[in-house]
Order: sequence, then structure tokens, then C-alpha cells
Amino acid sequence: MSEMSIEKAHSAEAVHAHDDHGHGHVQDAGGRMANLKTATWMYLASEVVIFATLIAVFVVFRFHHPDIVAKVHHEANILLVTINTFLLLTSSWAMVMGLREIQRDNREGLLRWFGLMCLLGAVFVGLQYVEYNELSHMGVALFNQGNEFDGFGMRFYAPTAFHGAHVIVGVLWGLFVMNNARKGNYSSKNYAGIEVFGLYWHFVDVVWIILFTMLYLI
Amino acid sequence: MSEITHIAESQHDDHAHGDSFTFLGRTFPVPLYTGVFGLLGILTLIEVTISQVIPRGELPGYVDLVGLIMIVIAVCKASLVVWFYMHLNKDSRIFMIALLVPTILVIVCVLFLSIVPPGSY
Repeated sequence: MSEMSIEKAHSAEAVHAHDDHGHGHVQDAGGRMANLKTATWMYLASEVVIFATLIAVFVVFRFHHPDIVAKVHHEANILLVTINTFLLLTSSWAMVMGLREIQRDNREGLLRWFGLMCLLGAVFVGLQYVEYNELSHMGVALFNQGNEFDGFGMRFYAPTAFHGAHVIVGVLWGLFVMNNARKGNYSSKNYAGIEVFGLYWHFVDVVWIILFTMLYLI
Repeated sequence: MSEITHIAESQHDDHAHGDSFTFLGRTFPVPLYTGVFGLLGILTLIEVTISQVIPRGELPGYVDLVGLIMIVIAVCKASLVVWFYMHLNKDSRIFMIALLVPTILVIVCVLFLSIVPPGSY
């Protein structure tokens, strides 16, 4: 279990907590952050399984039907998706810059960066809607329509829509974190909530990096 | 990545990053996070350019060199985010298992399924 501990975690501040039986015990902030991070990574592991399965389904389809995938790629608006990719990369950067600000006890800086992050996440979802609209007009549907793109839709929409749902959750979570920050709940000694949210948001970015390459470029 | 070192100017703790970083002996006057962001942007542009410029489907069967290069670039980009933004360079490496084990399992499954003829599963 010693390997499970987070190296260099904060331990400057001790917080008091009580268990279900009413017995008080002391748990330092470093221990709390370590627990939160471990739990978050375990959650992310389950997400990896889901996303990896969805991507695998697409990859196997691409192996067997490269002609259909090539047709969609030829028709698709790659510029729009590339812009979306940059939006998400930028939002990830804004996230870590916000974390950096709170590590310097600059709450205003955190709010500014997180505001940018949430905005970019929201625009990403909006552009994804535009992209879906274009694809549906092309004839790429969730279920087979008897056209040249049959079989592609479900395998494409499932991973990208599932990812989009994660972005929406991330934006809402980001707004929640901003609200907490506005109330003064975070400082350079206590930012576990921000770090945990950061793990989630960066994971969403990592998933998009892989989706972008596997679904749109290859 | 290990050659990247931080120059701490106003650090509050081990997680804080300075206003510049050194890579391969050169000092860049931006935070490390910004440097990583720049690198991610450049790799994305390279990836998109390759996909649009180099003609595809000329190699026989499943051997697709261009596709392979783009996958390598994507893995590099994902690793940069995990290593620096998700702080795996500072946290316990055991967390890497959470990402690697399911990924390896899926790769094995894909390789197996790719050799099964369509309609046989």
C-alpha cells in the first residue's frame, strides 16, 4: 500500500473528521488528497475500459470497411474538427494554468482561467452539434439508411457523443469548482477539489486526442 | 521528458511551476505548462497536415505506414497530457496501470477481431 501513497502530497494543514460511530480522528490534507486522487484514478480506469471498447468497435469496423470510412473522411469537415481539437487542448492548458494560480494563492487568476476553460468546453459541444448536423445531412445516421455510409453512424456517434457528454459534465463541474473558489474554499494549502477535477478534465482531453486520430484522421 | 527541468522562481510547493523551463539545454521564458501546450499544438498540426497531404491507401492490406505514424503522434500527445498535466511525473507511477491495462487488453482484442472475417462474430 505504500506505493499507493501520493508522493509529495500536501500535509501542511490538518483537518478533523468524525466517523460513523462518532469517534473523532485526525486526517491530514495530504492523506485526503491521496485518497481523492486514488479514487479518481480508479474511476478513470473504468472510463478507459468504456472508451477503449467504443474505439475498438470503430477500429475493427475500419479494418473491415476502409472504403466506407474513407468516403466519410472525404466528405467530412476536418477543419471544424481540428478547430474543436484546438479548443479542447486550449481548455486543458487553461485548466493547469488555473491550478497554477491557486497554488500561488491567486483566486482571481484561477477564476479567469477556469472561466476560459468552461467557455471553450461549451463552444466545443456547440461545434460538435454543428458537425453532427453536417454529417446527418450527408446521410451519416445512427441506424442504417440504405446508403453508402451504412454501418458507420453508430460506430462513430457512440464514442463521440459519449465523449461530448463527458465534456458537458466537465463544464458543469468546472462551474461548480468556480463557485467554490468564489466562496474562498480553495487556497495554496487546500486545492484537492481542483486537482481531482483537473484529472477528469485532462482525461477527457486525452480521450479526444485518441478519438480525433482514430476516427477522423486514420 | 526527463530532460525537462523546472526553473522555480516563485514556487509555493513541489507542484507549483515557475515562469520558465529548460529543455535540451535551452531555457524557454514561458511556464512548462505553456511549453507543453505549444508542443501539443504543433503535433496536432503535423498530424492533420500528414492526413491531408499524404495520399492514403496505397500500401497493401492493413499495413498503413502513415496511419501508424499518426497513431504514434497521438500516443505522444496523450502521454504529454498524462505526464505533465495529470502530474504523473510527480505522482505514483502505479496510476499508470489504470490507463495501460485496459488499453493493452483492448489492443489485443482488436488484433484478434481484425483477423476474424466480417460477419463471423
